This record gives sequence, C-alpha cells and structure tokens, in this order.
Amino acid sequence: MDIQIQDSKHWMGARLERKEDLRLVSGQGKYLADIVLPGMLHAVFVRSEYAHARITGIDTSAARAMPGVVDVITGEEIKAHVKSMRQPVLLPNLPAKYPDYHALAVDRVKFHGEPVALVIARDKYLAEDAAEMVVVDYEELPVVVDAEKALAPGAPQIHDEQPGNEMFAMTFTGGATPEEQQRNDEEVERIFKSADVVVSHRFRVHRTGITPMEPRGVLCDWNMSDGLTAYITTQRPHIDRLALIDILDIPGEKVRVIAPRDQGGGFGVKAPFFRENVVISYAARKIGRPVRWIESRYESLMNVGQERDQINDLDVAATKDGKLLAMRNRGIANNGTGQTGVYWGFVMPFLGQVEMPNVYTWEKGDVKLRVATTNKACLTPSRAFGHLPTRFALERSVDMVARRIGMEPSDLRRKNMVPKLPYTTITGEYYDSGDFLKVWDNLMTNIDLPAFRREQAAARAQGRYIGIGFACGAELSGVASELLVPMENQPGYGAATVRIDPRGKVLIFGGDAPGGQGHETTTAQVVAAVFGINPADSVVTTGDTGSTPFGAGTIGARAGSYFVSAVHKACSELKEKITHVMAHDFGLRATAEEFAFTNGDVIYLRDPSKRKTFREIVERIIMFPVNLPEGEVGGLEATAFFEAAKPMICFNADFCIVEVNPDTGEFKIKRWVTSEDVGNVINQNIVDGQMHGAIVQGLSNVIFEEFIYTDEGQQLTADFENYKMATAADVPDIELTYASTPCPHTPLGTRGIGEGRPSSIPGALCNAVCDALSPFGIEITELPLRPSSLWAKIRDAKAARS
Amino acid sequence: MQTVKITVNGALYEETIPARMLLVDFLRDRLALTGTHVGCTHEGVCGACTIHLDGEAVKSCMMLAVQADGHAVTTVEGLARNQELSVLQKSFREHHGLQCGFCTPGILMNMTDFLARHPNPSDEEIRQGLIGNLCRCTGYVHIVKAVREASKTLASTAG
Amino acid sequence: MFPAHIEEYVRPTSVADALAANARYEDGEAMFIAGGQSLMQAIKSRMARPRCLIDLQAIEALKGIGFEQGLRIGAMTRYVEIAGDERLRGAYAALRDAAAHVGDRQVRNRGTIGGSCCWNYVASCTPAVVLGLGGTFNLVAASGARRAVPASEFLIGPLETARRPDEMLESVAFAPVAGRAGSAYRKWGLLKDALPVVGVCVQVTLDAAGVCTAARVSLSGLSAGAQMATAGDAALVGSKGEPAALERAFAAIADSADVQADKWASEAYRQQLIRTLGADVAATAFARAVV
Repeated sequence: MDIQIQDSKHWMGARLERKEDLRLVSGQGKYLADIVLPGMLHAVFVRSEYAHARITGIDTSAARAMPGVVDVITGEEIKAHVKSMRQPVLLPNLPAKYPDYHALAVDRVKFHGEPVALVIARDKYLAEDAAEMVVVDYEELPVVVDAEKALAPGAPQIHDEQPGNEMFAMTFTGGATPEEQQRNDEEVERIFKSADVVVSHRFRVHRTGITPMEPRGVLCDWNMSDGLTAYITTQRPHIDRLALIDILDIPGEKVRVIAPRDQGGGFGVKAPFFRENVVISYAARKIGRPVRWIESRYESLMNVGQERDQINDLDVAATKDGKLLAMRNRGIANNGTGQTGVYWGFVMPFLGQVEMPNVYTWEKGDVKLRVATTNKACLTPSRAFGHLPTRFALERSVDMVARRIGMEPSDLRRKNMVPKLPYTTITGEYYDSGDFLKVWDNLMTNIDLPAFRREQAAARAQGRYIGIGFACGAELSGVASELLVPMENQPGYGAATVRIDPRGKVLIFGGDAPGGQGHETTTAQVVAAVFGINPADSVVTTGDTGSTPFGAGTIGARAGSYFVSAVHKACSELKEKITHVMAHDFGLRATAEEFAFTNGDVIYLRDPSKRKTFREIVERIIMFPVNLPEGEVGGLEATAFFEAAKPMICFNADFCIVEVNPDTGEFKIKRWVTSEDVGNVINQNIVDGQMHGAIVQGLSNVIFEEFIYTDEGQQLTADFENYKMATAADVPDIELTYASTPCPHTPLGTRGIGEGRPSSIPGALCNAVCDALSPFGIEITELPLRPSSLWAKIRDAKAARS
Repeated sequence: MQTVKITVNGALYEETIPARMLLVDFLRDRLALTGTHVGCTHEGVCGACTIHLDGEAVKSCMMLAVQADGHAVTTVEGLARNQELSVLQKSFREHHGLQCGFCTPGILMNMTDFLARHPNPSDEEIRQGLIGNLCRCTGYVHIVKAVREASKTLASTAG
Repeated sequence: MFPAHIEEYVRPTSVADALAANARYEDGEAMFIAGGQSLMQAIKSRMARPRCLIDLQAIEALKGIGFEQGLRIGAMTRYVEIAGDERLRGAYAALRDAAAHVGDRQVRNRGTIGGSCCWNYVASCTPAVVLGLGGTFNLVAASGARRAVPASEFLIGPLETARRPDEMLESVAFAPVAGRAGSAYRKWGLLKDALPVVGVCVQVTLDAAGVCTAARVSLSGLSAGAQMATAGDAALVGSKGEPAALERAFAAIADSADVQADKWASEAYRQQLIRTLGADVAATAFARAVV
C-alpha cells in the first residue's frame, strides 16, 4: 500500500487562501461597529480643546435636556465611583514615576483631546448634538510640548508625581550598579579618544505611528446576573479583563471581554488598556443598558497611534579600516502625558534603546535614555515598537562612518555583523538563532553593486543623482516572559486549547486577538500538518475571554512563534493519546511515531492495513470511551502553553535605489529589495503580506505621516487630509527574497515576524538619498524626509560650494 | 423626516429617514448592510465606505441618504451572484489582497468600477485608481496584484 | 461626525424651482449642494449648518459640455466627464489636466466644476484653471436676472465668491480663442493627487510662426486662493517656449508671488515649485498649441 507520509506536511509553507477572506471580501466580517445589541445606547466623548488647563466648571444641564439624551457623565462622577487608572495590573516592572489619573479628566486636562465627559443618547446623531451642548469652562495653564524644554528647569509641571517632568531614566550599558556603569562609561570615553573615526550627530524623529483603518470602539453590556460583557477593539482581551476587574472593582467571574473576531488592524495601537474602556463599562453598569462608543477618526488621531518622537544624540567610534568600536547614545523621548496603561508611553523608547546596537558587534557602549512628559497625547505602541528612531540613528551613522573612511557601506556592515548566534548585545539583548551573514549575502547576490556603481557614475556625468541605501535589523520574534514580565507585567507564553470534535473536526481556541494577521489560516495549516486533515476541517476562535485560554495578546509577532507553537504542542499531546488508543485497539505495542496521520487517515506504518479514519478514531475516543487502555480516559481536548527560555528574533536586510531630482528635492524609489530570515514558513502569502505592509508603513512614516502640534499644544493633524498616509500611487513595488534559518527553539522551526520590520526602512531610504547626493555632502539626520527639506539642503550645499 | 425609495443590491427599500442621515448610516444602521465601513470623521479620504451609485464608485460617507432617493446602490454584499464571488473578489482571496479586511469592501467596489472602465490596466494605472482607498496592512502590493490578475481573468473570459 | 439637523431637503428639476426654494429661506440658511465633495466635509464637521439643502442633481440644464461660441460647461458637470472629454484640447486642455487629478476616482465621480468654483476652497485646482483660461461665470438670480462675471471678479478669495445669496451658478464659459492656443495645468502635493501645495496653469496663444502672442498664468495652492501671475508675461510673449524663456518667466513669477509657509512647504520651496512646475507646464502648453 502506498503511503505518503509527507503528505500532511505540504500544508506548511503553502500559499493557502485564507479562511478569513470569504467573509471579508463579501462584506460578512463582524467588526466592533457591526455588533448591535437590543436597546443599545450611543456614547460620544467630550474632549479637551486645550493642551493644559484647569477645569473650572462643567455644565451638563443643556445637554441633559436634549431629546434622546440618557445621561452625561463627568470626571467627578467617575472619580467617585471608579478606581483610578494606576492599578498594579497595568504597571510595568520598571522604575518609572507613574502618574495617577482617572478615566475622565478631573480638575485638569493635560493634552488636546483628553476625555472630559461622556454623553449617552439613544441615537449617535443625538449624542453628538448633545455633546456640543456640554459647556466646559477652562482656565488655561502653561503648556510644554517640546521634550527638552519640558526637562529644563522652570518648565510647567505636568504631573505632581514627576518633578522636572522626567518620567523615566535609565542606563542600558555597563552593568547594574552606578559604579560599574561609570567605569564602563570611562572606558567608552577612552575608546572615543583614541579612535580613528568618530561620527557624532543629533538624530530627530518626528511623531508618527501606525494608524489602523478601523478606529477603536467599546460596547458594554451589563446585567445583574452575569455582570459585564465588554466588546473591545483590543489585541489583549485577557489583560483588558483583568484591568476592568481591578479598576471597576467587579468580581472576576462577572467580567467577560470579547475582542471581535474581525478587527481592522492593530499594529500595537490596540494593545494598551485605554481609559475609554472604563468609562463605557461604567456607563453600561450605571444605566443598565448596552452602551457603545465608536471612535471617530478625529478622536483616534488625537489620542492614539502616536509614536516615535525621539531625539538620539549618537556618537559612533570606529577604526579607519571599518571596525565599529563603541557607541554612545543619549536618547530623549517625548512621551506626551504618559497616561496609558500597560506601556505608559515610555516602554517603547525603553525598548528602542535596548535595540540600539542592532546586529553589529561593539566593544563597548554607553546608552542612556531620558523620557520627558509633555502636553501631547501619550505615546502608544506602533509597529517597530520604540526602535524606529534608534535604528534610523544607527543605520545612518554606519553609513557616515563608511563614507568617512571610503568603504562601501555594505562591506562595513558585513564586516561588523554578529558572525555567530546566539549572541548578547552590549545592551543585554539576546539574539537566539539564525545566520545574519547568510541573509546579508543573499541580499548582495540579488543585487549587482558594481554594476550599480558604474550606472551611478554615468548618471552623475549627466547631472542625475541616483543612490543606493542599505539597512538591516534584528527584530523580536515574540517576547518571552523573561522580557515581557519586566516590560509589561505580563507573561510571554503562548496558550492554545485544541478540541477535537466527534465528527473529526478540530476547534482551536486562542486568547490572543488578531487584527488581520491570518491566525485562523496559519493555525489551521499547522493543525492540518499535525493531524493530516484539511485546513478546512478546523475552526479557530480568538479573543473571547469566556472561551479561550489566558494569553498576553497579539503583540510583538507572537503568533508565528508562541501561539502556533502552543497549538502544535496541544495537537501533539492529543496525537499521542490517539495513537495510544489506536495501538490498544489493534493490539499493538506501537509508539506514536509508528503512526502516520495523513489524508484524513491514521495508519500504522508497519502494517498499513491497520488504519482508521481520523474521524473514526476520534469519535471512538470522545463518544465511546469504553475498553480504553489502562489509565486512559475519553475525550480529546488539550490546552498547552509554550514558553521560550529567552526572547527569539528574526532578521532582515533592505536595499533600495532612489533617484533625487536636485531641482525640487523630489525622490523616486526605483527599486526595493529585501532579504529575510523568517524561519520556517507556514503560509508564504501571509509572510509576504506582512513584509509588504511593514515596509510601506515605514516608508509612509518616513516621508508622509506626521502628527503636528503647535507650541500651544494644539494638534493640527487629526484628519486624513492632514495626517497623510501613503496611497498606492505614492509607494513602490517590493521585491522580497528569503534566506531563512529554522528556529531551533520552536517545534515547527517558525519565527514570529512582521512586528519590528518597519524600523530599518528610514535608514535604508535616507542612506540611499544621501548616497545619491554625496557630491553635495548631504547627511540626513532628521525625519520626516520631505522633498522640501531635501531641496533646501541641496540649495544650501550648492551655495556653500560656490 | 423624509420617505425615500432606494434600490440596494437589487431590492427596493422604502424608508422614512431624517434628512441629515448619511448614506453610509442608512446602509449600515437601517439595512444592516455592515460590509460598508467608516474610517474617517468628516474628511472622506479613506474610501472604506465606497459603494456604487448607479454603477459608479462613490463614497457613501460623503452623501446624505436622501440624495440617493430614486437611485440604485450596490454594496459589497451585492458583488457576489448566487453565492458565487465575483472574479475580483476571488482574485483578492487568491492573491492575499487583504489582511484586516476593513478597507477591502471599499477597494472592491472602487476596483470593480475601475476594471469596467479600464479593462487592461497597467500597474501604474491601478495604483492611480486606488488613490481614494487607504490600506494600512498590505502596502498595496498584493492589492495591485489581485486587481491586475483579475483584469487578466476578465479579459480571458470575456466574449 | 454627523451633520447637524437639516430641516428640509429638496431636489428641484429646474433652475427656477431651485432659486424659489432658496428664496424661502434667509440668506445662507439654504445651501445648494452639487457633488457635495467639499460641502459634505463642512456639513459633517458642522462648520456648515444649513437648514435647507437644495440638491441640484436633477436639473438637466446644468449638465454638459457645449462648444457653441467657445466653450460652455454646465455647473453640474462632473470631473469625470471633464477629464474624459477629448474635445477639451489645446486652449482648454488644462481643464482636463486639473479634473483628471482632483482627489480620487470616487471624488471625480461626484464632484462638479460648479460646486468647486462656488466653494472656492483655498487649495483647489478648478478655480485656478478657470481663472487661468479666462473663464466667465454665468449666474442667474431668483428674479430671473442673469449676469456673466469674469473669473477674476467671481473668485474673491478662499471660500468667497461674487455669487449673491439669491443667485446660483448655471455654467462656466470660455470665449473662443483665436489662433493656435494651448494650455496645461499641474500641481504638486506631498501625496499623489492631493490638494495642491502649488499648482500652475498656463495658457499660451501662438502665431503662425509659433511665437507666443499672449500668455495667461494662474496659480493655485497659495493662501490668497486662485490668482493670476503676470510677472512672466514679458518673458513668455515673443518667445517660442524656449527653456531659457520659460525659466526666466517663472523665476519672475516665483519672485513676485505672494507665497506662504505652512506645514507642507516653506516659502522658498513654494517659489521653487513655481519655477520648476511652471516651466514644465508652460512647455506642455506650448507643445499643445503647436499640434
């Protein structure tokens, strides 16, 4: 009998059509705004018009008198009935000065857009009519929006808990004690004094982030028996549940959080715990009817999705033959008000500094960060969590070193790349596995550098400016508890429940809540590969705390690393049980490995006539649990947790060609090529899509997007006409190539991918632009990269030359 | 309040509505056709709410429902015929032209209209045609591919 | 955001009925809505709170493009129709340039030339092109009185026109152009087809030898709204569109233009855009005149 044991494996790596897509292309998706409960009321927030002001009075009487208005809730009422937002569940284990605050502003507003009151009405149009009638009297207070000004003596004090507006400060290098660190810093200083080459620049990255197409939303339902059911657009429903329990002081058995099956993107923006969740929950409990709030784009752009916003004063020392020696960085992050649970804004710049060394070997480093509180919205995580600015600074500096010593930037990168993994960087980041050089060499074989240099020289002779840029980056591939416990006060393990049903189908339950990453499909492919069934024969449920195992959330590329590994582990346990019963039923002394799960059958390899269909054997174990092997009981369901001892990584390298028009500063990306280590691939389409999206997000951040505040703290970019996201016509096609190494720490060799991917984009793009403009000696140290600023630099360089 | 007659996906609806009700709210809240999405406040830039008005792609958040009185509207729910997805819908599945899917209905509606008028588009024309639809997940690469491949399929099956 | 309460929505089928509906309200309380692609932004953000909306979609007399005595474009003619009308060449080609790149496909399927010009948004293309091509706005009042207002007088400034509260726009007209004429328009924005940071419209008339006998240049994207720029006329007229002449013309225009700095461009960059775009657009206009 012909047995194709490898058969089931073909589901791994396939470009399988996604299970999600039939509903999503036909308008049958169920996003938060599509969920309607009987008797549902509609809520609209009244938000602060000022960046810093004392609330001297709120008059809600006119609003209350409006037709259809059910209630108006203010900060004073929230303060009287609900705990503050600074609860232990939401505090990282990092020594920051955490500001206390309430879900609605009390006494003072501290940024433009802060929620001040909530209007609830039976119709959303009426709610908006009434919100206009809420009169808030403000007494303006001095505003500070610049991080350095906020840290300077005499600056307006924003939070009482933070003298001098410093929320967090840390040294990332040299050891745990101040003495060790000082010794280290002195050694770094000695290296700088004797180094052949030192490159020192101040790098500024503007405030930008990854705005999901679906804004946030909350729908809460309350009844006396079951308590609170909260539908929230969220990446971490289980953490949201704990926070609601603690803040609203509701017994845990009476809180259920449901992240809708379909969410319109997250990218980190839906990872924090937001104050709006508390206010809507409170309103539903108070009124006893379902209350729904759907965030407007205006509110979204005012409140969330704002990240980056760092200054990095980076010095790099190197030898004249291109060996990187030491780095010294002084980072300053503009955190806004820091009022957002889980991250409090500063955790992103914290990790950004950790990732500063990137994939290069350094003898020493001196890396320090200060995080300033200002009257801007709190930073919220955005894909490339905290390290887009630091990677920009470093990858630009590497190119500047190369230019100084007359070396090809690609040669300098390869020369300094960590040659062998595992490796721990000077900031203590652990790189578990992979082969950086293999990925790099793959990139170089996909481009023809000498040919490009000839083309470049010929173009210059015609007055055309083309250039190439490289950048690379190691990204976290899921985050182990070792890092997630200190950083976010949460476990890092992946968790999955796998339930086999008597009809031979497989139901998988995950506590994380995806937003477009295709969990249903990749999970089904993994299950299919293990059980030899079709991916169509399984169904994935995510995001409902009532039915899924506890998980930290869809964050930091945890699906391909932690979640599917937990799924695999649970499947393997069940497989073991199935083969145990099979062996018993056939009177065999066989191990699990002696059975093949393929094409919907379970087959004893030594005698393929001994076989059952998958459905037969699982139905027998679940429904007819008699005559079982000794010690075995019926049923087929397992929950497994997967943890890695250390964080894991993936790695990528970028190459691009640009042409700059020196007359206008406009630049065109002519080619973008990458090389990726993504480990073993579950679904190639999904991996490709993650990379495309991340790279274009990076480009859009660098060139187009910017949150702009006036000196008075007024935010000017709260709509899509002013917050400019790249359209299809503004960005290039992307050529992806792969040179992967299976991850040895996951059962399938997979890596989590896509989260940090945008961070190498600004370096690659700006390096290419600077390479193109090297005859002018232009070095870009500030983002965004706009034609207007580039043109001014070219003009100035021309003027200086003549 | 005003009574309107609007044909949506082939069915005639007679509803009494306030003059200020946006067409997108009429579709979503009155008719429970929630495939049409809202991604902007007032600016009408994101394109997730794109529908067909008498066969042309328009943004349903930039119209009042009363303006559609007497007209025919098609939404994403109306693209499939007899439970069979359109060529473009199938192409988006096959080429992974979507991730979170929030922008997808608007893109499908715009590109359905686009392909009817530009049966053999270049990639550049497709990208130009997509300006009215923002997507955050895909970087547009697979969207362009899905539209391009759909145009080929339509060309090979036509006539 | 959602519109504030609207008491009445009417859809007249004639200009007279539209004006009669308008007359039932105090000045400004009723608003005409054409394609609505700008007005709906204002209504949704509640910057505009009309008591009555008069929808012009059913007035057939306001639609279409005609070429009797020059060019006449009905106020309710949509961008998609202007962009696709191949009869708009030579002297009128700039209209197609502009219409083809307003917003996006969906906007062009709704937006109209009349709506755009009557709204006269600070950064918009159509008013500047109508101005650059020397257009005239044909207005009709509730009394039946008609008047033709040159674009230079009609377009007063951002969000402001010479249309009186009791009037509506019927059409935009362009006088016949004698001789060989060509026009072009192009804009620059951070994103493709976004609102112009700067836009330049050029119309030139050439004699049989290809020498420019008349030139009209207008600018969009500046804080004063659509405006003529005459500083380059001396360099353009008498030239055959040689690069040096175009460069000279737009250097003069850039130097004299009243440009603003904002979050998208500095003053100097706007001036540079006028120089580079202008020379490019003028070259296209010359080329179109020759054909």
